[in-house]
Amino acid sequence: MSIARRIVTLAGVVCLTVTTWAAASDPIVIGVPTGLSGANSTVAPAVVQSSELAVAEINESGGILGRQVRLEIADDGSGASGAQRAFDDLIINRNADVIISMETSAARNAGIPIVERNQVPYIYTSLYEGRSCSPYLFANGAVPEQMVGPIIDYFIDEKASKRFFLVGSDYAFGRGMLEFTRNYIEERGGEVVAEEYQPMNATDWTSIISQMRRNKPDAVIMSTAGGAPNVTLQRQYKAAGMQALVGNLSVDELTAQSMGADAEGIYISASYLTAIESDANTRFLERMETYFGSELLTPNDLSVPQYDAIYLYKAAVEMAGTTDTDAVIEALAKVSFDGPRGTVQMSAQRHAPLTMHLGRVQGDGSVEVVQIFKNVDPGEQCPTT
Amino acid sequence: MLYLFLDIITTAAILFIVSSGLLIIFGVMKIINFAHGVFLTIGGYSSLVVTHFDWNPWFSMPLAFVVGCLLGSVIERTVLRFLYHRPLDAILATWGLGIVLGQLIIIGFGREVQFAAGPVSGAMELFGDFYSKYRLLLIIFSVLVAGAMWLLLKGTRIGLQTRAVIMNEPLARGLGINSSRVRLITFSFGAGLACLAGAFITPLSSVDPNMGLPWLVSAFMLVLVSGNSFLALASACIVLGGAQVLASTYISPVIGGLTLAVLAALLLRIRPKGFAYD
Repeated sequence: MSIARRIVTLAGVVCLTVTTWAAASDPIVIGVPTGLSGANSTVAPAVVQSSELAVAEINESGGILGRQVRLEIADDGSGASGAQRAFDDLIINRNADVIISMETSAARNAGIPIVERNQVPYIYTSLYEGRSCSPYLFANGAVPEQMVGPIIDYFIDEKASKRFFLVGSDYAFGRGMLEFTRNYIEERGGEVVAEEYQPMNATDWTSIISQMRRNKPDAVIMSTAGGAPNVTLQRQYKAAGMQALVGNLSVDELTAQSMGADAEGIYISASYLTAIESDANTRFLERMETYFGSELLTPNDLSVPQYDAIYLYKAAVEMAGTTDTDAVIEALAKVSFDGPRGTVQMSAQRHAPLTMHLGRVQGDGSVEVVQIFKNVDPGEQCPTT
Repeated sequence: MLYLFLDIITTAAILFIVSSGLLIIFGVMKIINFAHGVFLTIGGYSSLVVTHFDWNPWFSMPLAFVVGCLLGSVIERTVLRFLYHRPLDAILATWGLGIVLGQLIIIGFGREVQFAAGPVSGAMELFGDFYSKYRLLLIIFSVLVAGAMWLLLKGTRIGLQTRAVIMNEPLARGLGINSSRVRLITFSFGAGLACLAGAFITPLSSVDPNMGLPWLVSAFMLVLVSGNSFLALASACIVLGGAQVLASTYISPVIGGLTLAVLAALLLRIRPKGFAYD
């Protein structure tokens, strides 16, 4: 064995010893890859705020298993290539014990192989198109089975809509969501007059709006990437003087606010709205207010599940008694958390039954609750794995 | 049918506005200004600043133009002036500048997508249906830009000198035209136009550090097929922009996004001069 080799080996052994020794007292690291740039960037800062509040609260009350919790944030650029860098960086360089994140579906799909390779639990906190299955992946946001029904039923039953125009961003979320929507509409006896897609970062919706004008639908169902595409589509839709009802499967309260008056009248289907009347929600909103003051971004359906998820992870680690991946994964399906959205438990094939709210956006960006659907089941998401 | 026609005309108008700054710089300096995309972005952020301070949205246009002119003149004097005998390096320098300016924007304004207010909003009634007011306004803007360019080039002394430099720079210099000054003015003006275009497109879309990039590609292709003639650029915008709208409407928006680049490449293969005719 050459001298150089020996030194390298020795250094390796020293490093290993140091890391093992440090593990017991080091903080638990929660990695949050999220879209600080790109389409999701309108909502990602709110996701970071939810995470910060949850971590601050947990640390104030003594951490998890006596260990403090540290948040590591990384920008995934709202897309696949950025997510690969962010996941690698968080897991390999920053030693994340768990990944908890609201991201685009493109970013999630890019991240799954990385969490599988490194065997890290991953809680996905965005609403999404459903059926993303991996032993390491848990989701506590809504899926089409929970979101589509309330809007379509309301449009058909209460507003007598018959002709639907579907428009979305051209990636897993847009396509998956609208495929489910199309089937649902057709089962209910409605007609889908067109189904159109644009690339995720498209900002010019002219040709699609012209098609809407020709097709004269009763209602338009939008399923773009959350954030910027929502805003550009809705603004141009309003600017074109279109009158059809709008149901949006990816807009949240914060994004609706950034659209101003253009958002008025949009119907959304959400597991969280600030208007939810419960003690847990009132307390949550008060704490957000005290913690962030004037910097506070409106908590919304994309950011609040992130708060829930961090507490769900805490409960799972406490039940397992360790941050060991296999034990945590086993516990994650069993634990529940009473949060602003009510009791959330990822017990249905690693997905969560949720109470859904049909909301209507008002002129000032706030959302009025039209109907409430208790404990909607996510259906068959991952029956085999 | 009317709406299809309006879509084509408004799309051509946007493309013309976005490409004209690139064309004037290419015409005089024989370099493709790859910082064009970031100039568009800076125009967008000028609108954002106007929105932030709650000024009248109309003000964002002159502001963007002035910011662009100042920035353009600084860049010409400090960087490009030294690279005129090395055109390839000059292209590379504009590319690098684009990256540097892009990063400065991120430091100053953050990476996130933001929104600026537009001067007009809503739709107006046209033959019983509605069409976006702002898109109609863009037709007027593009005609104004084209008219101003034409007046400057044909009606002023500096325009005459610019045309002389475009046609034959050594000869123009021999006649006592200060071509260095012409270059300075052209680059500032081209940068100003690019920023102005950024302010024009902002009410239709969102403001983010990469907003200029997709436009840079379209503008680049259009300038390649137009040589250095504004008339050729206008026809290229109508033909290729029209093809893009038709493909988006009748095939799919994804195919539509490719149309402009693919057609421009094909055209250059068949007719290297593109839309230029002299």
